Amino acid sequence: MRLNEDPVAFEAFYRRHVDAVLKFVVRRVSDPHLAADLTADIFLAVLDSADTYVPGRGSEIAWLYGIARNVVSAQYRKATREARATGRLAGRRLMDDDDLTRMEERIDAERQMRSALEAMEGLPEGERAVLELVAIDQLTVTEAAKALGIRQVTARVRLHRARRALEHFTSPSAVYSEGRA
Amino acid sequence: MSDFEDRLLGALKEEITTRKAENRMTTVAPAGRRRWVGLSAAVAGVAAAATAAVVVATGVTGGPAYAVTRGADGGVGVEINAFTDPEGLEADLAGAGIKAVVDYLPQGQICKQPRGTHGGGSGQFSVSIGRQGDGISFKIEKGQVPAGSTLVLTVSKSKDGDDQPPFATTLEIVQGAVSECEPTSMPVPADGGGTTEKQDQGPGFDTGTEQRDEGPSLDSKTG
Repeated sequence: MRLNEDPVAFEAFYRRHVDAVLKFVVRRVSDPHLAADLTADIFLAVLDSADTYVPGRGSEIAWLYGIARNVVSAQYRKATREARATGRLAGRRLMDDDDLTRMEERIDAERQMRSALEAMEGLPEGERAVLELVAIDQLTVTEAAKALGIRQVTARVRLHRARRALEHFTSPSAVYSEGRA
Repeated sequence: MSDFEDRLLGALKEEITTRKAENRMTTVAPAGRRRWVGLSAAVAGVAAAATAAVVVATGVTGGPAYAVTRGADGGVGVEINAFTDPEGLEADLAGAGIKAVVDYLPQGQICKQPRGTHGGGSGQFSVSIGRQGDGISFKIEKGQVPAGSTLVLTVSKSKDGDDQPPFATTLEIVQGAVSECEPTSMPVPADGGGTTEKQDQGPGFDTGTEQRDEGPSLDSKTG
């Protein structure tokens, strides 16, 4: 079953995850147009990476968040901005006024999470990445490790360090939550 | 289909369809019987649009679909035994430092010209296509496909199968962007038009020297 060849399989995948992807994006950007672009970019990247897709819930989520992280990273954004200039599917063009309002509402709802992410900015990249996926995106440590391509034990160590480092911050409680078990 | 999520899904499904169509275009089964167009027709069709192209039709037998080898002199050798997996060949050529666009089309079809701007002065492009064993092979000399240029290989396959001698092959070097392959029928020469059409060939055009040795299919009606 190839996601980039079977529209039915892709639609099922998309419907399972579109909400999570939108949340992932609006926790990281506050511009509704950019959020729409990034959402489209993430699913286009899913099509690009379909040959690495392994069905199965745990690995599917890890796989998707791994892609989403890459897409939202600043470096990727720069590259796709250039690609978009050559006519790649642009999410913002698919939004009407109602969508724009809804996207703004989504962005508003995740304000607390964006603050939490800001609080993590001082952390070393490796630690921050694990904490982000676990505390903000509610992945399990196992899923976060897979998404980041690191060993589970490494993810646990980094998570522990990240939490310790943040203890003196008055951060939203979300930062300290365990996420899904 | 009213909100962003639905429209995005629709756009992505269209993207899937487009990508599939692009893939299919290169692997589609040969089209129905067409008038046999000999080599000179293929030559003329390409020569009219391209300043540097090589057209050849050759015999092919089994073995791996293709092989890309890097020579000690920096040149890259390509040997194709079966006209399948164009993406794989593109990837392997990319691995050898050559950006390439490969399209395999049904017999009698070729990509609409031009695919882009031809670089180099006339006569600069001297790749030779020949036969090695039973496959088609050619060598790209070092620097022949510089950065920003793309090697564009288009094969009109035989209606008898992917591993059969191709109907025609074009090889060109395009500077800058290469347009998508838009399959179109090869021009059919006017009766006895072979010789007049040869006058259209640009100075850089090289029909190769090995072609007279090709299998019987090639000998048919070259005008």
